[in-house]
Amino acid sequence: MTHNAVIVGGNRIPFTKAGGRYADASNHDLLTAALDGLVARFGLSGQRLGEVAGGAVLKHPRDFNLTREAVLSSALSPDTPACDLQQACGTSLETTVYIANKIALGQIESGIACGVDSASDAPITVSDGLKKALLKASRARSVGERAKAFAAIRPRHLAPLAPGVAEPRTGLSMGEHQALTTEAWGVTREEQDEIAAASHHNLAAAWDDGFFDDLVTPYLGVARDTILRPDTSVEKLARLKPAFGGPEGTMTAGNSTALSDGAASVFLASESYARENKLPMLARVVDAEVAAVDHPGGADLLLGPVAAAGRLLERQGLTLDDFALIEIHEAFASTVAATLKAWNDEDFCRARGLSGPIGTFDHSKLNVAGSSLAAGHPFAATGARIVPTLAKLLHAKGPGSRGLISMCAAGGQGIVAIVEAV
Amino acid sequence: MRPKLGGCLIIVNTKTLESVPGMGAGFARALIPSRASQARMPQHDLRVADVKQDVGRLADYCRVTGFTLRNHVPPTWLHVLTFPLQVHLLGDKDASVRLAGAIHVSNTMTLHRPVSSQDVLELGVGTTDLRPHRKGALVDLTSRVRVDGEVAWEGVSTYLAQGMSTPGEVEERERTPFTPVTPQARWRLSASLGREYRRVSGDPNPIHTSRIAARGFGFPRPIIHGMWTHARALAALEGQLTDSYTAQVDFLKPIFLPGTVGMVSQRNAEGINVDVTDKRGEKAHLRMQVRPHG
Repeated sequence: MTHNAVIVGGNRIPFTKAGGRYADASNHDLLTAALDGLVARFGLSGQRLGEVAGGAVLKHPRDFNLTREAVLSSALSPDTPACDLQQACGTSLETTVYIANKIALGQIESGIACGVDSASDAPITVSDGLKKALLKASRARSVGERAKAFAAIRPRHLAPLAPGVAEPRTGLSMGEHQALTTEAWGVTREEQDEIAAASHHNLAAAWDDGFFDDLVTPYLGVARDTILRPDTSVEKLARLKPAFGGPEGTMTAGNSTALSDGAASVFLASESYARENKLPMLARVVDAEVAAVDHPGGADLLLGPVAAAGRLLERQGLTLDDFALIEIHEAFASTVAATLKAWNDEDFCRARGLSGPIGTFDHSKLNVAGSSLAAGHPFAATGARIVPTLAKLLHAKGPGSRGLISMCAAGGQGIVAIVEAV
Repeated sequence: MRPKLGGCLIIVNTKTLESVPGMGAGFARALIPSRASQARMPQHDLRVADVKQDVGRLADYCRVTGFTLRNHVPPTWLHVLTFPLQVHLLGDKDASVRLAGAIHVSNTMTLHRPVSSQDVLELGVGTTDLRPHRKGALVDLTSRVRVDGEVAWEGVSTYLAQGMSTPGEVEERERTPFTPVTPQARWRLSASLGREYRRVSGDPNPIHTSRIAARGFGFPRPIIHGMWTHARALAALEGQLTDSYTAQVDFLKPIFLPGTVGMVSQRNAEGINVDVTDKRGEKAHLRMQVRPHG
């Protein structure tokens, strides 16, 4: 017996640039703020939900139980369990799938999928040398032993370590990896700047239409995404200097996502729970697929989701024509451009084990309410930003309207999901 | 004007300050020992309008006291904002009660409605009648926070001016006797906690940070600010706090730094009671009652 898992709604806080208005807030604060707004919107105060699943990519060791702690700070019943889950930038689409699967299996009736990241509150750790000396000192049984342990500390051990932004196996940053992909797929500067400008214009229009009024709650006086530049244009973006790919590179700060702070959440329930509690039903979670590529072996780091999209569509017997809207996470504008090219590349798709190219679609269906370039990309929060946005857009289009979400993630991974308006 | 106990009215002057006074000078005055044996308090209120809140300091306050940084501020934070006015009032030439040496024995605060970190505040502080106590005189400092002209928060801080006298009968207050408990939680208070709370509260009383100063007042070690313990106890209830409530605390025994204390909370029909106890739950340091409104 399976149950329909429906998206009831969502709530996020406006996203900001790292070091901006949320510079003093921790992941715990941001996630609690996102949950507070969701609880207020759907009257969940004091209610026990089936489970809350959340995560963060940049996470302090003290936050080992981040989501549970945020639940305890929120007005949800303290009897609501939670778990932390992390799949790099795919985190809160993965938490959505996790909660939806549990609902589909009848294990829970309601749940929240969420994610948060603060590049302002990134964990700074100590060097291995200092760590070893400190641990040795804490195990020491005598003053002499402790002194000996401390004596092993050298000045070079004292430099703090910021979290790595490079892929562990290649030593290349995500931008450097994407620059290789940009080059390999011949993605032009103009293509990228057009995607970036469209993202800003679409997001600005959605804000102006009041689209986010029931999806976003202000936090610390921030009422709108602060990275958003409504008046940007392809011409303005064209003036920016390359950030990745050397002096001849085409990737700039304007067509790459900025380091961001933010949190987002999705409220999911079984259809019966939603009916009983008179909750809205925007769309149901149909299916999802994850995939990975061998990026240490030279594969394009951020084209992991292509195989996931192909396998998912084949399993569901669907083509791109069956979708009213498509969301491709804008890690970089060039990721979107390369994904579109890869979807239509027969050799690439066959090499991924697919029976043929995924195909093309009318680009007016793509990221219609803006995406990460304009909104910002607090890594683990992006999935939970996209899901309610897409569910609301599809719901407005009428029952049966389908949407596809494709998200790339570090480690050559990707996650893709299908939602369908109820 | 405000009603005096007994029903008659007295006129109270209000002095409006341009900005929240710095605590250094006021505190220095409040430190000068008073030779007066009669407790006296100024007959005017203090008021400061257009006070913007510093979110960075609020975040730091939340970190030190255990609150989550949310849109709505903890009510104990509003106390911290009004505290410089209390110090200023006690530094007044008409005040014989000195802050240093006066013991904060109890505190009551009522949050009438949530206050946002973005709200611009009007802060007001005044005193009410002095009343006698077995060990001296009690003085209530009343504080008020208005948002858009509406009272959003009120606090009453009761200090005991030891050895001072004031006319009247000693009122015996009945306290529910404390029975030993098994603590539900253990808080480890570091030696630096007094300095951390000084940073976020601005309360420069060296009794909380210096061993020498603490000894001067008869304590073997520095003691943590009562309002830290109050805030920490309220933060422990965080998810259960409503939009409007009254929190009443009695500060029974000082907590020495560094130190370890226990905590128990119990929900009943009227609200939530919290006791901060010694490590074993045998003696109470602070007793708090939270009563939701509406």
